[in-house]
Amino acid sequence: MASGLSNPTSTWERVSGQYYRKLTLFTPSWAEDDDFNLDDYLVTGAPFGGALALWKDPRKFHTYQGVQSAKPSIVICNLAGSLLRRITWDRGPIQAIGWSDDEHLLVVTSDGSVRCYYDLQGNFTQFSLGSDAEEHGVVSCRFWGTGFVALLGNNAFVTVNRYDEPRPRPLALPKLPTPESKVHSWAIIPPNYSDSRHVEVIMATDQTILIVDATESQDQILQNGPFHHISVSPNGSYVALYTGDGKVWVIDVKFQQKLSEYDSGKTGEIPIDVQWCGVDSVVLVWEDEVHMVGPNGAALRWYYDSRVNLVPEMDGIRMITTEKCEFLQRVPDVTRSIFEFGSASPPAGLLEAVGHLERKSPKADDAIQLIRPSLPEAVAACVQAAGHEFDVGWQKQLLKAASFGKSVLELYNSDDFVEMCKTLRVLNAVRYYEVGLGITMDQLERLTPDKLIERLVARQEHLLALRISDYLSLPTDKIYIHWACMKVKLSADDEDSICKDIVQKLKNERGIAYDAIAKAAFEEGRGRLATQLLNHEPRAGRQVPLLMSMEEDEIALDKAIESSDSDLVFYVLLHLKKKLPVATFFRMINNRPVAYSIIETSAKYQDTELLKDLYYQDDRKTDGANVILRESLAQENFTTRIDKLKLASKLLKDSKDHLIEAAALEESIRLLTLQESLERDIFEESFVGLPLNETIFKLTRLGFHPRANKIRTEFKMPDKRFWWIKLRGLVAKREWAEIEEWSKSKTSPIGWEPFFNECLSAGNTKVAAIFIPKCKNLSHTERINMWVQCGMVAKAGEEAVAARDYHALEALLPKATGAAIPEIQRMMQKLRPSR
Amino acid sequence: MVTERLTEFDPSRIKDQALRDLCNVLEGVRGKKSLVVDQALAGPLGLIAQFSLLQDYGVVQLHWIEDNNIDYTASKNILYIARCTAKNAYSIASQIKNAPRVPGQDFEHSLFFVPRRTPLCDRILEDEGVFGDVTINEYPLYFIPLEPDVLSLELDDAFEDLYLHKTYTSIFNSAKALMLLQQQYGLFPRITGKGDKGKRLLDALMRMRNEAAAEDASTSMALAPSSLIDNLIIIDRETDFVTPLLTQLTYEGLVDEIFGMNNSHVELDASLIGNAMQTPADSTGRSVGAPPAPQAKKRKVHLEGTDRVFTELRNVNFSAVPGILKKTALRIDADFKKKDDCKTVSEMKTYVTKVLGPAQKDRTSLSMHFNIAEVIQKHINTELFEKTLEVQQSLIAGYSSTQQHELLTELIARGASLETVLRLLCLYSTVNTGFKPKDFDLFRREILQGYGYEHVLTLAALEKVALFQSRTVAASAASRTNYDYLRNRLKLFSENVSESEPNDIVYVYSVYAPLSVRLVQCVIQKSEMAQAAKGEKTLGPSTAGWKGFEDVVKNVGGKTFDELQKAPQNMLTAKMILDGQNEKKVTVVFFLGGITYTEIAALRWIAKKEEGRRQIIIATTGIINGNKIIRAATADAQTKPAPH
Repeated sequence: MASGLSNPTSTWERVSGQYYRKLTLFTPSWAEDDDFNLDDYLVTGAPFGGALALWKDPRKFHTYQGVQSAKPSIVICNLAGSLLRRITWDRGPIQAIGWSDDEHLLVVTSDGSVRCYYDLQGNFTQFSLGSDAEEHGVVSCRFWGTGFVALLGNNAFVTVNRYDEPRPRPLALPKLPTPESKVHSWAIIPPNYSDSRHVEVIMATDQTILIVDATESQDQILQNGPFHHISVSPNGSYVALYTGDGKVWVIDVKFQQKLSEYDSGKTGEIPIDVQWCGVDSVVLVWEDEVHMVGPNGAALRWYYDSRVNLVPEMDGIRMITTEKCEFLQRVPDVTRSIFEFGSASPPAGLLEAVGHLERKSPKADDAIQLIRPSLPEAVAACVQAAGHEFDVGWQKQLLKAASFGKSVLELYNSDDFVEMCKTLRVLNAVRYYEVGLGITMDQLERLTPDKLIERLVARQEHLLALRISDYLSLPTDKIYIHWACMKVKLSADDEDSICKDIVQKLKNERGIAYDAIAKAAFEEGRGRLATQLLNHEPRAGRQVPLLMSMEEDEIALDKAIESSDSDLVFYVLLHLKKKLPVATFFRMINNRPVAYSIIETSAKYQDTELLKDLYYQDDRKTDGANVILRESLAQENFTTRIDKLKLASKLLKDSKDHLIEAAALEESIRLLTLQESLERDIFEESFVGLPLNETIFKLTRLGFHPRANKIRTEFKMPDKRFWWIKLRGLVAKREWAEIEEWSKSKTSPIGWEPFFNECLSAGNTKVAAIFIPKCKNLSHTERINMWVQCGMVAKAGEEAVAARDYHALEALLPKATGAAIPEIQRMMQKLRPSR
Repeated sequence: MVTERLTEFDPSRIKDQALRDLCNVLEGVRGKKSLVVDQALAGPLGLIAQFSLLQDYGVVQLHWIEDNNIDYTASKNILYIARCTAKNAYSIASQIKNAPRVPGQDFEHSLFFVPRRTPLCDRILEDEGVFGDVTINEYPLYFIPLEPDVLSLELDDAFEDLYLHKTYTSIFNSAKALMLLQQQYGLFPRITGKGDKGKRLLDALMRMRNEAAAEDASTSMALAPSSLIDNLIIIDRETDFVTPLLTQLTYEGLVDEIFGMNNSHVELDASLIGNAMQTPADSTGRSVGAPPAPQAKKRKVHLEGTDRVFTELRNVNFSAVPGILKKTALRIDADFKKKDDCKTVSEMKTYVTKVLGPAQKDRTSLSMHFNIAEVIQKHINTELFEKTLEVQQSLIAGYSSTQQHELLTELIARGASLETVLRLLCLYSTVNTGFKPKDFDLFRREILQGYGYEHVLTLAALEKVALFQSRTVAASAASRTNYDYLRNRLKLFSENVSESEPNDIVYVYSVYAPLSVRLVQCVIQKSEMAQAAKGEKTLGPSTAGWKGFEDVVKNVGGKTFDELQKAPQNMLTAKMILDGQNEKKVTVVFFLGGITYTEIAALRWIAKKEEGRRQIIIATTGIINGNKIIRAATADAQTKPAPH
């Protein structure tokens, strides 16, 4: 074994065939401070080795430390005990504190108001859990990565799923066995692990357990309660229950099967906390006594000098005491295969070989040859194991072994090796006590490096964040933006030099959201600086919201138009319309066509008065008239309708270039009045609103010819049109005699073909045929065809004879039937000799 | 977002993504839910998912936002899916406000805006005081593949938005959708196009590209020029209003003209459909709980490429349809007879699955298309249709116009539909650069007396779109399309193209080649186009953009653009190594403001010619036809007193 390194197995302990290791991550700085006792505080830790929040336990008496510290405060510190922020608490009694995956601190007061501290700087957003919470009070809360559930005084649950737009939603009311039943303990299954993909609550009441989700409450019908603690494993598959007689039960989450049972031997004392350590063991804490129950119900026990606070992680558990910050986890399999006493696994052999090599012993080669067949796996195992080590010395040693192994291999893809070296450099950097993040490799993988960077940035570790980002080729824009925002907020320099500094530093970076920096400046009351910074933002659309809050209305509007996002333009316009006097508003949109169109279109459907004002202002009489015309159409009252039409017509007349329309509207008033009187005269028929042509058609169809004629003269309808309409009307009425009569009296201005066609399509071949001889302008072939269409082949033949067209006759022969056949033949005879 | 670069153009990915997103939307609300959908979205959603899928995800009833008739007893979860318009935001806000308040039984309102959540809608909900009562999300639905070669945004009101209201929301949405394509396939190396609104789209695209490049370093790799797509061609509908105004003469075009197609669905009398087709067609039906619609005689049918019979018919001129129907009938008959050749059991099994199944499907489909074709035939045999066609064809041929005046007044006197007449008038105005003032007055009077004085509003709208104008106004407009010049230069009119075995795209209108597609040909089929106009020197294959056709684009209205999107040299080579060089290039043709089925047919005809060299992907804001254009203009005149 390598010299100078303590044997890793010294921290291992064995329970039912598994090894667990308890590593001391940090010795917090408060351990040096004799006056400080962590026992006085309640402690909650952010997941993924994140920050701790400490606040004085209200149930304990504290020594009076002067007026200064009388104000309660929440202390946020890293795992090494360095203070990150002290938040002075000025709201009511705190009922729960929790963290989100993004390391946002959530503080819930007993009246249901929630503060979300989204950076570690004390800035927060606040929301309420609703009137129920206010009325009944919050009893306790359970947090998961992106939300939490609160238990209210009336035994109802309220859940919040996200913090950027919190929407508190009630869960189904738990169906308690009796109204007096108490909630002994409860836990949640986070949405990403539940079957329904929504959060579920597991609660113990009386002897049993209820599972409550958004829609229902289900009794699991257990008899062995009351259960004083419920804890759900990090993968959401198992539940640990602490029974009244001091036992721990591990049950699958469906409550189908009991997997193990452990008797703590403490019947009278209920542990202060029960949490999972990874997915296969459960940790119980009674103040300073800790039991860890492994699989199969075997347990380890430790005793401390002070109270132990538990922070569960996905792959283990953090235990925080006044003296130290420890991490307890099951020894990873690769690590075990290498370091376990007497292990003869290939990676263990490889590690041994590199030891020989360091001592320049020839046995190195023998050792390599011994494991030669499984060398690739051995290298991979050493690389993996290095990742699980906290001790830099061992990391190096394992990587050295891997490196030695891969140098022996002919073909080896070094990607994993290189990747691990990178990961370890990052891990070691953030585990440094000044940064104080106690994160494991597996946690980093789950958290993702991007989020790690965010955490560093929140800790003001801009330089480290930048270095890591560059090193891992991650985007750096957010780091620069955060830095600039901090600079804007904290710098005492004058505004010009701040702006210069920022622009200078950021000019070579891509994707810098200057709008965010400008917003920070604006919020800090540095308006001019905000404007300066905003000018550097290339994305027009993103400048808009800030410009609006800066009351730079006109610029905001122009930027919105520049972004080509019509919805954004409308958004600005909506804001301006509310804010500005109408005249100013109109002036603003007048020379901006897109803005004008948007207002015009939206007003058309939502605010016609505004539209009228707009047109009036611009002297757009025609458009103004059209608005009124539209109103008249929507009007049911006859008189109002006419009045509106008059008004529209007058406006149109004023505009000069739409005299036809103006006249038409006047005409329409006349027609409407006429139609109204028609309706009075002719019952049960409606005329109002019909077009002129329709009116005449309908009158003809109903047989009111004189009236039709009168209207025709009154409205100066052209002859041709009138003939067409009358013809159609008569055909529709099937007034064949009338048609014949009419056609005799006058010469048709539209020719006789339409008469033929209309009658034919109406199915009256007899009347249709009357008009064939009248169609003198048509060729004889067309006429022949017309006769055929009427089924009068003989007549067609006569036509052919008259035109002396023998071929036509010939073609007619097959179409002829009955008496027509000899007729045609006769005609053919007659024509033939002449040829 | 680093997306893997794709080496093949695959629109089904877009559909899969849309479906996945929809499932996430539905899963976002726990348990039973009432779904309330914006009516304009019902069709597009129907293209993505069957109704049964909604039921699988716990939707117990479906309502339209416009109807405002949610049944609050069915479920306490109300899920809205709506386009992010101000109108929708107001309606939803008022519905949430008016939801019944039952103590102890809170309704959960969730709202998904399509395609994105905007500050505008947030603000409206906030102003209306419901912002805190609803969970707001977005459902990024942009392009929907109608067919493997057609991507559509299915924006019903794109035409109004672009040319009538000029609010340009669809330009932004189009740009966003095209950006998504660029993020997947790389930048369009060249963007060539025509039209004022097209130019706006280009500007929006360029700005978004720059913003995306400024966004962060990780996207920059994806934003190198694509090695798969060689060109984006943007055709602004405004450059060619003539094409949609004409009556489409392909099979699919005529179905659209006569029956009206929406979101690839056509509503038919049940008697036309036959029996077996009915079940799958019901995907966009109304609410589950509601009683069957009273007019149960109508059925919605999804016409698409998986229907083999339809695929053979859709793009051909109608005069060739009877022949194909007959051939198909024979083919199906032969398929059925194949069973006589089967000797062994395994042969029989293959026959049943491979031949019999499809053949049976074909037979049902065939009988439906026979019925449809019969209705179409009846329609086009009417005198009115013939006269309409006559006017159209002489107008585009550029023949003298006195006779057309006669015919037009006759059509009005005979009570032809307003759409038909206005299409002809607009066609006249567009081809002849407006009406003489005397005629302009005459026809305006004819329309107002013939169809009602309220059409003062229609005429005003058409004038605003520059479809129906007096020559005095039209001539003063800066740039107008000069049809007299283009007719010969681009061979827009030709009477000697076979309708059954066409050698030119002219066949889609029997005698007219859509100008819009000719413009596309000027970009991608330079030598063919140069040959067509005789006496032109042939152009080398390396020429691109509008090169060689500068005179053409000068004679077409609207702005012209031809933009290259280049990458730094080192990135270019790196990318080339990564992607390899594709032999076959993809050209994306984007029709801003809508495309007709005939244009799709023409583009497919070209795509067939270019097969092996080039793949053409058609993208658009939606499918359009002349009737839809006219209806956009007549909407105001349809204003009715509000019902009580």
